[in-house]
Amino acid sequence: MMKKKLAIFELTDCGGCALNILFLYERLFDLLEFYEIGEFHMASSAHEGGHYDVGIVTGTVSSHRDLELLKEARNRSDYLMALGTCATHGCLQASVEMPLKEKLKAIYGNEGNPMRALEPKPVVEYVAVDLAIPGCPYDKNELFQALMDIAKGIEPTTPDYPVCIECKLNEYECVLVKKGLPCLGPITLGGCNAVCIRSGLGCIGCRGPLPGEVNPAGEFEILRELGYGEDYIVRKFKTFARWEP
Amino acid sequence: MIIETREFTRVEGNGKAEIVIEDGGVKDVRLKIVEGPRFFELLTLGRHYYDVPDLEARICAICYLSHSVASVLGIERAFGVEVPEEVMLLRELGLIGELLESHALHLYLLVAPDLFGYPDAIRMAIKHGELVKEGLAIKALGNRIRDLVGGREIHGINVKPGGFERWPGVEDLEVIERESNGLLTLAKRSVRLFNQITPYGAQARHFIATNGYLWGEKLTSDDEEEFHYTERIEEHSLVYSFAKRSRYKGEPFLVGSLSRLLLKSEMLTPTAKRFFEEHKNKLETGYVSYNNLAQAIELVYALERANKIAKTLLDMGIEGENVPVEPREGEGIGYVEAPRGVLVHHYRINGEGKIEYSNIITPTAFNHAMMEVSLFEEAQKLYGEAGEGEMLQRLEETVRAFDPCISCSVHFVRG
Repeated sequence: MMKKKLAIFELTDCGGCALNILFLYERLFDLLEFYEIGEFHMASSAHEGGHYDVGIVTGTVSSHRDLELLKEARNRSDYLMALGTCATHGCLQASVEMPLKEKLKAIYGNEGNPMRALEPKPVVEYVAVDLAIPGCPYDKNELFQALMDIAKGIEPTTPDYPVCIECKLNEYECVLVKKGLPCLGPITLGGCNAVCIRSGLGCIGCRGPLPGEVNPAGEFEILRELGYGEDYIVRKFKTFARWEP
Repeated sequence: MIIETREFTRVEGNGKAEIVIEDGGVKDVRLKIVEGPRFFELLTLGRHYYDVPDLEARICAICYLSHSVASVLGIERAFGVEVPEEVMLLRELGLIGELLESHALHLYLLVAPDLFGYPDAIRMAIKHGELVKEGLAIKALGNRIRDLVGGREIHGINVKPGGFERWPGVEDLEVIERESNGLLTLAKRSVRLFNQITPYGAQARHFIATNGYLWGEKLTSDDEEEFHYTERIEEHSLVYSFAKRSRYKGEPFLVGSLSRLLLKSEMLTPTAKRFFEEHKNKLETGYVSYNNLAQAIELVYALERANKIAKTLLDMGIEGENVPVEPREGEGIGYVEAPRGVLVHHYRINGEGKIEYSNIITPTAFNHAMMEVSLFEEAQKLYGEAGEGEMLQRLEETVRAFDPCISCSVHFVRG
């Protein structure tokens, strides 16, 4: 069997989405039975260029450099995956609601933009992708399964239920009802196995909103009745997903 | 003429360098951080303190716990909260897990391919599979500790002002006690391996670290006992980079493993101390490439210290009581040693517990000037002597020795 060519393209982010691939440990070698890595700048100095069967993009588009790289990734990959909440929803670094000029001034102390920064936006705002796996960080098992499926010509499936479902399956105590914590589990896309509720913490919504039949207005009301201020709730809702796909 | 390197590989984040050639010699070198700006401090302004460490963690995946611990320390100091010994020991254990994870990644997966002449650890594994697996084993223990203390391998939210939401159990600590002991042989072997590194990059003249081994109340340096970063370190913006540059008394300085060993060797565990004494003369030359050797010695330290902390906590028994946190108006600075050096989180918080001012300085920003000096000296040495390809390769190795975390370095603000 011919191995498929895989490339990982890193735009602006915390590095976690690329790092999480390395956290597959021995299973990384299982993947390498099916894939050959042509480009993965965090882990390799190899740079093959040319055509890739599968491309993975992480991070937000935050500069012209990122935009060029993204276009290159799209043009050169048959199958393109947006990986992680930065790439799918913009995540934290795209959540500051202020004109770019003002943000740059607050940080670098002048009005100019010599490095050609752009307003940070998710990858899906610029190009069509074949698969989007959110999560800050995404669940590495989900990525592993998706890459295995793609290698075998199967279209990967993605979760279509809220974090709440996984929380119930694990029989964790509901932190929203029992502790009154501002848990976003009811309206957040599942797939993380409710990892934060395992620690008794409220979901902070790092996988972005569950598309379809969710009721953010209902969640808003519940949190308001628990005594949280409107500003607080709105800001919490928009922290990971100001940009919806 | 300007020679531009490609974007550095086997480092975290996106950066490159420009070498300015004039009259047949190297006139200047500019380190360009091309990773886009990330606006983290703006993100936390006006937010409730409780949510802040979870957000700050996301500045960096390799050192997320360093960020959340620094953030928590800054907040607790602003409120005047004191936590008991067990909380600090567990936080330290978390930082040690992070050091293991990060150093193992850097040494085995990013630097070792240079020693053996491969483009990456995956291709290196065909002939040196054992070595790669040893690195992954150390990394896995580090991550196990991060999962335990931090709540997740990457970006967990378990570290909170006043304590933890979930406390580790006896069995968890027993595993750490056992595994840290078991992996010590591998770490000792890594010291021998990375002792092969030759001197390159500049020789640092100033070293800065926190006054405790992995966290502190203040900073310390080679010529001064204790100071706050605001008293001695100036930062300024550059037109060619998304990162700022810092200087200590007007000069470049080094933070990271090498600085920690040179300034705080008396705090090391027994075997790590023995290794330090053995390689002291070499390390004291201050060549930045020896930061790799220093990291290997720190792997030994981290495993011994993790073992000690697990034992101590098992003997003491964990009470698992959080300290109540009452917001009050105040200002606080958290100093932590991230794996790659000093990390500062500085906050001013109002009476309602909302962030009014935030400043974060990361190790790679502190090292920015030292990285440029190193690139400059290395380029001067090699330009005209070696081929361009060889020179660029060596420049990349020089940057890699700092174990830079470029993602971290692009979001400062004083606001």
